[in-house]
Amino acid sequence: MTLLEWRDEYRIGIAEVDHEHQGLIGLINDVHAALEADRSSARIEEFLGEIYARISAHFALEEKDMRARRYPEFSQHKADHERLLDDIRDIMDEHSESGVLDDQAFANRLAAWFGGHFKTYDARLHSFLQAQR
Amino acid sequence: MKFLKSALRLLFLRLEQVCEKFFGPSLNPFVHLGSLGWFLFWIVTVTGIYIYVFFDTGVTQAYASLEYLSREQWYLGGVMRSLHRYASDAMVVVVALHMLREFSMDRMRGNRWFPWVTGVPLLWFLYACGITGYWLVWDQLAQYVAITTTEWLDSIGIFAEPIARNFLDSSHLAGRFFTLMAYIHIAVPLIMLLFMWVHIQRHAYARVNPPRMLGFAVLGALVALSFVLPAMSQAPADLDRVPFDVGFDWFYLTVYPLLDIVSGRVLWAALVGGSVFLTLLPWLPPLRKTPAAVVHLDNCNGCGRCFADCPFGAITMVGRTDGTEFDQEARVDADMCMSCGICVGACPTATPFRRAAALVPGIELPADPIAGLRDQVLAATGSLRGSDRVVVFRCAHAGTLDTLADPGVAIVPMPCVAMLPPSFIDLVISRRHADGVLIAGCAEEDCFERLGNRWTDERIASQRDPHLRARVDRDRVAVSWASPVQQHRTRETLAQFRQHLRSSVASPHAGRTGTAWRAQLSQLAAPLRVVGATAVLGAVALLIGWFATRPAYAYLDRDQALLKLSFSHAAQPLQPCRHYSPQELAKLPFNERSATTCKRGRWPVYLEFELDGRTIHRATHRAAGLWDDGPSTVYASFRVPAGQHRLAVRLRDSGRATGFDYASSATVSLTSGQNFVIDFRGTEGGFQFGRAPAHGRSTQEVPP
Repeated sequence: MTLLEWRDEYRIGIAEVDHEHQGLIGLINDVHAALEADRSSARIEEFLGEIYARISAHFALEEKDMRARRYPEFSQHKADHERLLDDIRDIMDEHSESGVLDDQAFANRLAAWFGGHFKTYDARLHSFLQAQR
Repeated sequence: MKFLKSALRLLFLRLEQVCEKFFGPSLNPFVHLGSLGWFLFWIVTVTGIYIYVFFDTGVTQAYASLEYLSREQWYLGGVMRSLHRYASDAMVVVVALHMLREFSMDRMRGNRWFPWVTGVPLLWFLYACGITGYWLVWDQLAQYVAITTTEWLDSIGIFAEPIARNFLDSSHLAGRFFTLMAYIHIAVPLIMLLFMWVHIQRHAYARVNPPRMLGFAVLGALVALSFVLPAMSQAPADLDRVPFDVGFDWFYLTVYPLLDIVSGRVLWAALVGGSVFLTLLPWLPPLRKTPAAVVHLDNCNGCGRCFADCPFGAITMVGRTDGTEFDQEARVDADMCMSCGICVGACPTATPFRRAAALVPGIELPADPIAGLRDQVLAATGSLRGSDRVVVFRCAHAGTLDTLADPGVAIVPMPCVAMLPPSFIDLVISRRHADGVLIAGCAEEDCFERLGNRWTDERIASQRDPHLRARVDRDRVAVSWASPVQQHRTRETLAQFRQHLRSSVASPHAGRTGTAWRAQLSQLAAPLRVVGATAVLGAVALLIGWFATRPAYAYLDRDQALLKLSFSHAAQPLQPCRHYSPQELAKLPFNERSATTCKRGRWPVYLEFELDGRTIHRATHRAAGLWDDGPSTVYASFRVPAGQHRLAVRLRDSGRATGFDYASSATVSLTSGQNFVIDFRGTEGGFQFGRAPAHGRSTQEVPP
């Protein structure tokens, strides 16, 4: 079962960002699949840490691109990035405290964020980039 | 050298500690010497432009125009002039301290050679600016400077005609010379500005402006000095007289008195040798090189944070080389990398929440891998006990902090505290590896790696990415910026921090920049500090004002006069010219025919000078030019007691073995301070004593 699915409508028009978006979704799904086999707490923590690092790096790149293009809604967009990172950190702390991770809840939160973020913030960035061209 | 360096360092650290009491850590002039140099340069530029508007180039006009500024327009022009002088003098002080300080702190070694090496020519330019400036005033000091400088330049021997002869006596001086000097005095600072720009090229975010308050304070001190000790001209220059005592600018003319002791060439050799030595200093001895940061492309998406944070411009963002769809990747220039690790602290994938084998960041130091740092933190915190456990991340330049050792304290050393990715703090606090994190780095505004403190402060304050996440309780994070001699401060900060961690009572914010701690530590009340800072700046200003003209330099004793024997004379040709015979002419190509043929080359001029019956100068002066066919030039000066003297000069300018071609003698009466010139003009009857008719009888003797 895949946690998240990439859709073409997610595309924003910066090649490297789209590339990494797909890569991230792939990573989340891969790691999740690996977890099906091994559900030890250490593996889960590793999984979460890796996702946290990759998403942090991805946002860093996307924020650089937005800054370079003087995107006017940069701060709102960045705030939404921070919201997700805080979310993931919350989930990491919850797992670290309780030792259990509810996959489905985690998947739902991620999916909700990704869906919402793509539809609103990334879509706005996409149309800004279209207009700029 | 090592001892000198550490002694100097200790001296600076102590002085700075005293200064910090008055100025506070962020306005401490010692940590802003470089940018103060820039600031003073701009003061000198602006005031210089103002003076230039009123300055006249001319033998008498130059002096008069400056007198007008200083006397009629003292309230503005006079102040501008004083500022021009004192800001220049202050620049020498600031530059010298800047250089000594960077040297003593070892901030010019190895890969940091660039600003140091480009700073060496800046010293020469700075001195050239000052010396040509004093020249333009055309007062007695200018006269001294002009004559001494040209004599000193002549000692190199590259000028066919001694340039000092331009200042032989008042009849030799041309107004055009001032135009030339004025342009040199403008051109040299412009070249200097170019080098100043080159000087800071390898520094990202170079500080070229001091903090505003410090700038105002320095400007204020210089303006005050301009009113207390206005810069004035000395008596007007008079080339027929020699000044006895000249008010001396000891900042710019420092080496000039040495010319009384050593020859011009020796002094040049010493200065050039000294400069070469300075230039080589960064590699004496060669620095053991820590491996430069390396980029791991698998973990680098080209986000550019390391590029933005590198203090030394060692990272560039270049096109992707691994075929992935990313645009860019970071590339490290190993020759510019200081291995400080600040780039690692900026890398988003350098987060310790990643596990073990996977923890490879996009950029890292091979000698200090981030996975190792994570292990170190976990190992060091594992044995901590109590409710006030603290991890101290210690910068390599903050001293050992041995005295902090305690069962509740884990010390983790690192090359620079800005190497610490903020998520490490998040990890330590959220996973309760410790109750608090203390970051102990270099003194404020004085990070060894330039920007480590600043980035750390900004990351913790969430002003710079990667920032410390808002979820991390800032009450559990403290910062101590302290120099190696201020370790007690870190100790006190730690003690208060731990006390605060133990008590559940809300206490003053431990803080992003540690200001709360420092406020408690500062022993002096604010008004007292202002008074102290004013006193320090005032004292320095007074010292500058004092040494800008005092003590006077005794150029000539009161009962002395100066005899100058100088002329330029073309001696006889080695062989007289002869006419070509018709046969010879016929053999020559058409275009090479001329009436006579002359062999190039002249005899040297042999000269003897006798004062009161004693020969005091005897020398052979070679003909100038590559073919020895130019004039021989003579320039010699003698300090003699004032009064009546019998002078005799004899000269040989032909191939004769004995005897002289010209000889002349005179009895002259010299007044004290007189500049008496003995000239020679072969076409106008030989030797001439003084430009006015000689005091006394002069005889042209018939050559024997």
